[in-house]
Amino acid sequence: MWRDALLIARRDLTIELRSKVGTWQILPFGLMALFLFAFALGPQTELLRTAAPGLFWLAVLFSSILAAQRSLNIEGSASTREANRLLGLDPAGVFLGKAVAMALELLVLEVVLLVGVMLLFHVTIASWLFVVPALVLPALGLSAAGVLYGSLAGGASTRSTLLPILVLPVEAPVLIAASKSLSRGLGSVTPDAGRWLVVLAIFAVVYSVLGVALYGPLEES
Amino acid sequence: MMRTTLRKSIGPLAAVLVAVTAWLGLVVTPPDRDQGDYVRLVYLHPALAWVALYVAFGMSAVCSLLYLWKRTRSLRFDRLASSAVEVGVVYTLLTLLTGSIWGRPTWGVWWTWDARLTSTAVLAVLFLGYLALRRVPAEAHIRARRSAVFALLAAINVPIIHFSVIWWQTLHQGATVLNPNLSPMIHGLMAWTLLLSFVAFTLLFAWMVMVRYEIETRRADEDEVGMAAAIADRQAEGIHS
Amino acid sequence: MSYVLAGYAISLTALAGYACSLIVRRRRLTRDRSETGT
Repeated sequence: MWRDALLIARRDLTIELRSKVGTWQILPFGLMALFLFAFALGPQTELLRTAAPGLFWLAVLFSSILAAQRSLNIEGSASTREANRLLGLDPAGVFLGKAVAMALELLVLEVVLLVGVMLLFHVTIASWLFVVPALVLPALGLSAAGVLYGSLAGGASTRSTLLPILVLPVEAPVLIAASKSLSRGLGSVTPDAGRWLVVLAIFAVVYSVLGVALYGPLEES
Repeated sequence: MMRTTLRKSIGPLAAVLVAVTAWLGLVVTPPDRDQGDYVRLVYLHPALAWVALYVAFGMSAVCSLLYLWKRTRSLRFDRLASSAVEVGVVYTLLTLLTGSIWGRPTWGVWWTWDARLTSTAVLAVLFLGYLALRRVPAEAHIRARRSAVFALLAAINVPIIHFSVIWWQTLHQGATVLNPNLSPMIHGLMAWTLLLSFVAFTLLFAWMVMVRYEIETRRADEDEVGMAAAIADRQAEGIHS
Repeated sequence: MSYVLAGYAISLTALAGYACSLIVRRRRLTRDRSETGT
């Protein structure tokens, strides 16, 4: 399983590096979202600074839906399915590989958006101890959930409108926990920030395990 | 014979019990010392919430599990699960409605982000997501598998969602928000009416699921018959052409 | 009290309406079956 996961992760990342869909489509979308939030709320510094962690994670959350769609679209192509079958790949490994690849892409997105938020919403990093897990753990969780629910949502055309409503309710805790953790990392007084990091870790683990177990049976259709 | 009579009587019985509950709740029981007439919503909201959050949701999760488990795999469980969810949506929306109305006089607004109500709202979206997933055209067993997995994932996630929302609420506001469910002193006739409301709405739910299940079964049979007829027609064409 | 009445009215009407829609749907399916003579 681990070898297949590594193989698939490298494949997905190579596809991304060659096609640059993430760089040219998803990343600009995330950045645009930040501007839209500012337009919606108004340019008051204090308001934006307070809202920054939540807005950051909203932008990442919506971008992650696009990333999940992209990841599943790769599987949808006939040549990929043929290759997977010929190579006799373990579906659990395929899931892990895809989730890891997506997580890495999300991490890059998060770093860029964080810089954007620091510039546009006037925040600074106060505690790396909180910022780093606050970025890494949600990336893992959102990727695992995204790939799993993506495989639930059927083919590309139905998935494009169905995936958001399926996955966003269960990702709501990630939004809450990640916003709290990041706000602690950016310096706000946030009680029990450690507890939120635990929630993020639990979410990532639970969905990784569920994905490994369920991706295969779901893709059999 | 006996079973059919029993089945046929559940509907009318449930209707009668609900009517009695409403009469007791609105007319016969006394108003509360603190909440006045608003306490009468206690004969609606908790029972509706109980059916939506525990009976409907629990049933969908159990039936989904039974479908996914090879030894008990049967499309019957898939149909039961989806019936429970569809009826559950109605109860969940009504739970939100009555909860919102109950909160209005206390807080002056229609929505207060109370932890339980917010979690219920997320559950409503999960239910709707399940129904949306079922509308995607697919072969019966594939659809059943997807729906069952989604329902189980929802069941596993509800605790995570629930606790996140509670912590989000209390840590945000500092003090626990007054929960209308806890404040009235329930005694005597009020207690019996409350108990009756639970029985009445649960029975009504059971009847609704039965009818919905019947509809689903007939629809599935009809599809099968339709297919068989179409194949027979085609074969007949082949003989004559 | 008017809020309470509204709550009861909407809830019970909604449930009754849904119940009726179920009965109608079931009847329609039964009738179809007998019409096609299966």
